[in-house]
Amino acid sequence: MKLIAVQVARLLAALLGVYALLLLVCLVLVPLGSGGNRLDTARAGSTLFITEPKYAFMARSQLNTTTDKVILLGASNVLVGLRQDQIQPHVPQLEVHSLAVSGSNITQVGQVVDLVREVQSPAARAHTSYVIGLWYGLFAEDRARWHTPDRVAGDTDIDIERYRYGFYRRTPNGPVPLLPPRYLQAGTALVHPYLVLDRATRDVTKSMRSFISGKSAPTTDEERNAIVLSKAQQDQYLSFWHDYMGSTDELKEAQFQTLRRIVDQIVSAGGEVVLVDLPLPAWHSQRSPLWRSYASHMEPTLADLQKRPGVVVVRMGDDNRDDDFGDEVHPKPRVAPRWAARLAKTLNAEGDARQANFARDSVSGLHVE
Amino acid sequence: MTLTSLGFVAFALVVALLSNASRSIEWRSWVLLAANGAFIASYVDRPLHLLPLAGFLALCFASIEFVRRRPSTPALWATLTLIVASFILLKKFSFLSEAWLLPFPYLLMGLSYVLFRALHLLIDARQGELKEPVSPRDFFNYTCNFLTFTAGPIQRFEAYRAQRQQPLMLDESRVLRAFSRVILGFLKVAAVSAVFDNLFQTVSGRLLDAHAAAAFSLPAFALTFVTAAVCYTVYLYYNFSGYVDIVVGVGWLCGQDLPENFNHPFLARSFLDFWSRWHMTLSDWFKTYVFNPLLKVLAARFRSPKAGPYLAVAAFFITFTIMGVWHGTTSVFVIYGLILGAGASINKLWQVLAGQRLGKKRYKALAEKQIAIYVSRGLTLAYFALALTCLWVDLTQLLVIAGRLGALGAVACYFGLALAAAAGFFAWDSLAGRLARLQLGERAAFRGITAQNLGLALQILLIVTVASFFHKAPEFVYRAF
Repeated sequence: MKLIAVQVARLLAALLGVYALLLLVCLVLVPLGSGGNRLDTARAGSTLFITEPKYAFMARSQLNTTTDKVILLGASNVLVGLRQDQIQPHVPQLEVHSLAVSGSNITQVGQVVDLVREVQSPAARAHTSYVIGLWYGLFAEDRARWHTPDRVAGDTDIDIERYRYGFYRRTPNGPVPLLPPRYLQAGTALVHPYLVLDRATRDVTKSMRSFISGKSAPTTDEERNAIVLSKAQQDQYLSFWHDYMGSTDELKEAQFQTLRRIVDQIVSAGGEVVLVDLPLPAWHSQRSPLWRSYASHMEPTLADLQKRPGVVVVRMGDDNRDDDFGDEVHPKPRVAPRWAARLAKTLNAEGDARQANFARDSVSGLHVE
Repeated sequence: MTLTSLGFVAFALVVALLSNASRSIEWRSWVLLAANGAFIASYVDRPLHLLPLAGFLALCFASIEFVRRRPSTPALWATLTLIVASFILLKKFSFLSEAWLLPFPYLLMGLSYVLFRALHLLIDARQGELKEPVSPRDFFNYTCNFLTFTAGPIQRFEAYRAQRQQPLMLDESRVLRAFSRVILGFLKVAAVSAVFDNLFQTVSGRLLDAHAAAAFSLPAFALTFVTAAVCYTVYLYYNFSGYVDIVVGVGWLCGQDLPENFNHPFLARSFLDFWSRWHMTLSDWFKTYVFNPLLKVLAARFRSPKAGPYLAVAAFFITFTIMGVWHGTTSVFVIYGLILGAGASINKLWQVLAGQRLGKKRYKALAEKQIAIYVSRGLTLAYFALALTCLWVDLTQLLVIAGRLGALGAVACYFGLALAAAAGFFAWDSLAGRLARLQLGERAAFRGITAQNLGLALQILLIVTVASFFHKAPEFVYRAF
């Protein structure tokens, strides 16, 4: 018994020694990374965090400030259509961050909100507004979206990041933090060697992985601006989304209830929510039964939510010219500045209204900082 | 409790510490009993899910004791039939009607290996080799040993009983060796096999996706298929042999010398040689309990001395077909069995005919030539890797692949892979030879306890690093068989 205990102790000591040395070397060679002054998951690929979910999970600590900020949430059409770097210049009075994650459904959007709230003080929460980009793909059921062979059934991409370095532990009731969120930065520093090794390995094997997976090289903005979809491609996309959503043409009300809960959670903490009903190309919405189901659920949901204080709805469904889209969902690069300006207009109007309320409350003595 | 989880590491460590807490043989046996119970229970949510396994164990135990007391051929056949029929029912073979199956979920894992051990005891009991009764505790510890429950190795009962009666004696070097073996096992499973599994999933995903595959030219399709087959073979080997390293290493700490299951299978120069190096305890079991009795029966039926070698060809075909079919419960495994059977019998037939044609001396001399060795190794690996396709496709997918390749494409895949493997083996051996000449392992600087622990620490960090790349810990693949 003693021999085993001694060997365990020796091994642990060796492990600590080797890891400390590795940490030191990594910190010297590759200084600690951050998400930048403004978080933008679209830039994840150029950081140590590499992927959007890992970036959203690990870089969020800096959101714990009382500066007025807007956080963009949603899936890849938010990343492509509502770009942080295009919106920010329109709203200099606000910090604009994007934590949109490709492939998100509404459950994962809620998880990102939870991640942000975890690291924020109550005062910081009150200064945080969220922009949620909505479309039917966001309301995919968890069973269809997250029960895939490449993961533990039900784990979202955010869950995977929660468990990856042991910051959370798996329980029957979902992930539970092992590392208190206030120590997130320390935890990120502690796993720095893994971030460096992951980045290095991915960079070294990039071309080999692209070859094996058969992925074509990313298209340029010019190429995307020039895309015209054929009827066969449209059919393929419709078929893809039918399968992706769980081989169904009907969305479930439960997912829309999740949206309501997310909105309630944010508003009750003093935050604000801008719900953006994102457009699809006209051919897509006209031919998709899923879009019709989405519209029938979304109309009453938005009508109800926009009555609540702190909730604004932006309907962009009219911006749906087929030629403006590079595929079935994502706007072409030349269109993104228009979407950004349209959203910024709402954000500025809301900012003005907020200022007016602030001034009125201050005069009447209602506002307490 | 998956074998690659931290939970299992902690569990194994506690069992090892408890096994060493007393020198009493009885104590160790009780610790093993408790560990086995806890391990199996960790796989189910409700006690009801263990009921079929418990019933199956009770049936096997009663049958063995019955045959031991009244050893007769009818008793053996009756109990054997009952046990195998129960096994087929519990394993839910696809040809069974739903109405025959138990209407609730239950633990299926481990049943195959319980069956192997139980049949071994049953047949030995008939042959009078089981002199003393087996106590229920020994029966449970032998058939449900937490280290071998999932997928073997299949230890013989005599070996189990002999080591059960030995006091556990550990020393510093054995403990270090055990830790090294366990960590090597984890390195194989969680790093090497995980990487190849990832590659395999990516490549096979494209192959089995009708849209993606339609875009391939025939050579590209064949190359993708061969790449997927090789990745799966490497994944399977490192996954399974890593598992064996883990259980053998933990066994050393708990006073169990489990049999080895692999002996450098990719050094095999023929298909038959391969099976004496791959999943060795399973091959031994089939040799003892299927091949040998079958050959005996055939030899009694066909007495001509000239027929002898051809009887072995037939016996190999039947044995390997059964062994292949055992791997699963659906129709594709019948094809797997037939491919294994064909491989083994063609291999035996080649040995017989080449021996007759060239004479034993010339045949042996030819087989010892370096080029023949590498070509044989290549042919062996290629056959096995392509046969394994049955383990990662269903029947429809297999037919689609076969239809796309055609006979010529399949033959090209086989010989192309064999040549590539032969060249790969040659390159690898040359590199390994150069590295061996450096004799790093022999240098004093690498042999001290501190240096060895630093080496183990590096391996652990590598395991954790690779594990952090993937979304989930790799499953132990043979648990499904």
